Amino acid sequence: MNILVCFTTVPDVEMLTDEDWLFDKNLQIDTSFLKPTLNSYDESALEMALTLSDASESVKVPLELTALTVAGSGATTILKTLNALRFKRVVRIDSHDDLRFRPIAIASILTQYVLKHAPQDVLLLGRQTRIGENARTHLLAAEMLGWPCVTQAIRIELVDRNHLMVTSQMDDGRLRQRIQTPCVLSIGDAPNTYMRVPTLKDRMCYGKRPIETLSSKDFQLSDETEELIGLEVIHHKRAGILIEGKSPEEKARKLYEGHLKRSVRVQERLAKI
Amino acid sequence: MIFKGILNGCSSNIVAQAEELNGFMREHLSCGDNVGSTIAFYSKKEEKNALLGLVPTESVELVRVARYQPENILEALQTVENTEKTDLYLFPSGYAGSEIAVRWACRMKGSSLVQVKQIECSGAQLIARKTVYANHVLGTFKLTKRPYSISLAKGCADSQAITIRDKRIVTEYDLTGLQKDQFIKHSKWIPSETTQDLEAATFLIIGGRGMQTKENTQSLKKIADAMGAAFGVSRPVAMSAWAPMHRMIGVSGAITKPEVCIVAGVSGTAAFYAGIEKSKTIVAINTDIRAPIIKAADVAVIDDYKAVMAELAKIVLS
Repeated sequence: MNILVCFTTVPDVEMLTDEDWLFDKNLQIDTSFLKPTLNSYDESALEMALTLSDASESVKVPLELTALTVAGSGATTILKTLNALRFKRVVRIDSHDDLRFRPIAIASILTQYVLKHAPQDVLLLGRQTRIGENARTHLLAAEMLGWPCVTQAIRIELVDRNHLMVTSQMDDGRLRQRIQTPCVLSIGDAPNTYMRVPTLKDRMCYGKRPIETLSSKDFQLSDETEELIGLEVIHHKRAGILIEGKSPEEKARKLYEGHLKRSVRVQERLAKI
Repeated sequence: MIFKGILNGCSSNIVAQAEELNGFMREHLSCGDNVGSTIAFYSKKEEKNALLGLVPTESVELVRVARYQPENILEALQTVENTEKTDLYLFPSGYAGSEIAVRWACRMKGSSLVQVKQIECSGAQLIARKTVYANHVLGTFKLTKRPYSISLAKGCADSQAITIRDKRIVTEYDLTGLQKDQFIKHSKWIPSETTQDLEAATFLIIGGRGMQTKENTQSLKKIADAMGAAFGVSRPVAMSAWAPMHRMIGVSGAITKPEVCIVAGVSGTAAFYAGIEKSKTIVAINTDIRAPIIKAADVAVIDDYKAVMAELAKIVLS
């Protein structure tokens, strides 16, 4: 079974101070000084693919994992880590375009990669990125490929060469389904899926394998049907009154007397009913 | 603008969906030349009349399906819908709505946007706003190809009860025979707890990564239980499996509006804050005065949350 995991790296914008949140006339913000990190949903997708790989021998299903990103050379460090984690192929589609709000373009690249470069059985990707929050790439890719899509996957198990057992989080419950490939799976909030760290030995043995690099110019990027026309920073500010005191007891007392007494008393009574 | 709301009557949260759509329609689409109707999917015959009472428009197309499976729902929409006549499709917040909104627009060669907070209709053009940059920024987008298909952001509209009492104009379809879901070889529904109690809570205590362990998480939950508060957690806590996912607060969890919200050991990312910003009073307890939650709270205590919460519990319960 061939599984393509698509991921992206994003700047950790939680590190920006209020003063840093300045967009220029082209709706760009300088995040070049922030360390790129794996997008959290994509990190879960990568780890879930590795977990499938761990299980593949015991269920006798040969698995070939490919990790792919559309990015500049800034993604190299993470790509080397994925090499060390024994992804069979690690691919970077070189692009310096502004892809923050271009899910249609990204989906069209992924589709062409699957159809023209390396056939796959499963496309695995996080449900959205922290920057664009588009939450559409996986759905658009499924439509472009003509494949079914299962969203909000939180657990994936190998069944046989053509089937996966997928547990998805729905709005009011969970759905456990045996799915026939090919399919697109998007990863939701899946607990305990922080990506593992490669051993030093694997870093030395596999980390330096070549990264397959293709140019985005070799792909046709479809046009977006939504145009970004404005960005406005949201300020989350309240009074921020600090409760002073010499001990936790004194602070708790002041907090209770000054701010919580009436409300907490009501709740306390409710709890006793 | 001619618009249609889409309801998933197969889901147990149908009332919330209907009231959310109703609130959004009234807030954004009740004036001008806008004309609305609803497409409501359902599976159990005995639930049809109850569903009819929840529809937020006078005109409704009731579509019976075997179950709310996205491939079949898309096929059903293609069967019942004439996209030449509709400018805008509105889907409720939640996973099911967003999925269909995007794929439906793609099939209709229109534009889509998910987790939308506000819209402006100007003639045939649609401007929509949604958060980006992990909830730090409000982005404004122009949708350029009709039909437009959007899903709502959680908490974007004040839910409004359905008040239509007049006889409705109903068109019915039975599409229970659709078979676009044959890639699914076996399916089992597993009921799970929801975030509804958090969303309805008037007193909320939330623990964050500062709790450090599952044991500490359970201890804080015991304090919350004793004080009569609902207990929630931030995303890192849920992702570490220190607490179940349905306890998660924030854009991917519950959007709450309590009278009092005590936030312990939470740094306060913007994505988390979206889940508590409608609180009347926010109290932050954190050892780090530079944590973003301190400026975003009404009141802050700089100290170890365990010591402060233990003392607070003593006072409240004395």
